[in-house]
Amino acid sequence: MVNLPSTPADILPFIIAVVTSHTFITLVFFPGFIHLVIVVMFLTWYERKLLARIQLRIGPLYAGGPGGILQPIADGVKLIFKEVMIPYKADKPLFLGVPLALVFLGALPFAVIPFGQHWVIANLDVGLVFIFAVTSLFPSMILIFAWASNSKYPFLGGLRSLFQQVAYEIPMWISALSVVMLAGSLNLVQIVNAQQKIWFIVPAFLSFIVFFIATMAELERLPFDLPEAEPELVAGWFTESSGAIYMVIFLALYMKLYLMSSLVTILFLGGWWGPAFLPQPVWFILKALVVATFIIIPRGVYPRLRVDLLIKIGWTRLLIIALANVFITVVLLSTGVLAAWGL
Amino acid sequence: MDLIPPDATFVVLTTITLLGAIMALQAKELIYGAISLAVSFIGIAGFFVSLDAPYLAMLQIAVYVGAVVVLILFTIMLVRREEADKDESGETGESAAGLWIAGLLAVSIAGVAALAGPNLPTNPPTADLPITQLGSVLARSYPVPLIILALLLSGALLGALVLAKVDR
Repeated sequence: MVNLPSTPADILPFIIAVVTSHTFITLVFFPGFIHLVIVVMFLTWYERKLLARIQLRIGPLYAGGPGGILQPIADGVKLIFKEVMIPYKADKPLFLGVPLALVFLGALPFAVIPFGQHWVIANLDVGLVFIFAVTSLFPSMILIFAWASNSKYPFLGGLRSLFQQVAYEIPMWISALSVVMLAGSLNLVQIVNAQQKIWFIVPAFLSFIVFFIATMAELERLPFDLPEAEPELVAGWFTESSGAIYMVIFLALYMKLYLMSSLVTILFLGGWWGPAFLPQPVWFILKALVVATFIIIPRGVYPRLRVDLLIKIGWTRLLIIALANVFITVVLLSTGVLAAWGL
Repeated sequence: MDLIPPDATFVVLTTITLLGAIMALQAKELIYGAISLAVSFIGIAGFFVSLDAPYLAMLQIAVYVGAVVVLILFTIMLVRREEADKDESGETGESAAGLWIAGLLAVSIAGVAALAGPNLPTNPPTADLPITQLGSVLARSYPVPLIILALLLSGALLGALVLAKVDR
């Protein structure tokens, strides 16, 4: 803690002390605000470029930098200067407020994500539950936004989104449960520390598969992007959003993509652990970007699922596999097979 | 029984919770009612945080705001507006039932406060209890309340099944 200034001469040292304090740096630069914005902007460019290469196109090119990497800035400027259209008889406070709440909810979980042994804003004992609690607020926000748009297509998309996210949250929690049992903790730092000798993708491989599929469903990524199925629902639950509102929703969605990739990295891919020639946060971000790549690639490869298949896979396959893996984890732990790795 | 003077956190959280609850009942648009209910639940989660129970607070948000409010939203969205508006028959003993429930709740809370209030430990053990031991403490120290809760939940589940059963 820094003492408050008492005389005018103390103000400058006070500002320097605040700016160089660990709390300020973690909150504003890394892993806080600025890092988040840069990675999210990079992800939007990366997705466009990757999909373009999958489809033998070139993608963004002319906005500047190598491969048009400054494209997100151009996009942002364009979207800010566009008119914000509010549909006739839409619920104005909710229509404008919910996107901001979505961005807030997308950024909030990064407070507990550890990017390195000491690179974490708040080392909560219940970090994992915190993330699940915050992400469980997304579906209702989406439905409220869809309702506030006062239009058919957003409403249908919102209902689909709610069905899907509620159905896939359950296998997701249960597959994370076996990781919690292996690590013996809900603290994300301790979960990563428990993977120093072996990544949890090895003892909990089934969980990893279930968690990854559920992640794609939570993110409404292909093949699970029914809520924004463009042939039938125009653009799903954010059809009516335009200009800055669209940009804010876009930002929230990519924050969630980065959040979920980070979560997969923490739970299954050993977090920041890697050969020591790179610093810990670099390893973490690299792993998260690799996970994000595997979440993005199916968008250029797979067709969309049918609604009934989607719900069926969630409730009758993923849930059962996740429960089976909890049982397998209990057996592995109680027979001491994993004792060699200190689990 | 000594009354502790309320501090600022308590006042703010109580205001949020109570205002949310009142708004939930008074809202003209049902969806605003659901949102106010969510705000009220978040206020209760704040109480848990201020009582050094962050795990409970997170579960409060995940279960009540994340799941119960979603269920309520589903119901609001899937019920046809006209039918809901037409149903104005609120005078079929509903207010009497409400008064009965409120009275029973007040009496039981007063009873619990009068019986257990003076005997409450001044320094509850939950403050520095690690969550890894929460399960064993619950199952070892409070087995009977746990079993009663389990029975209550099974009863609620059975009741829901009976209510949801469609006569064919």
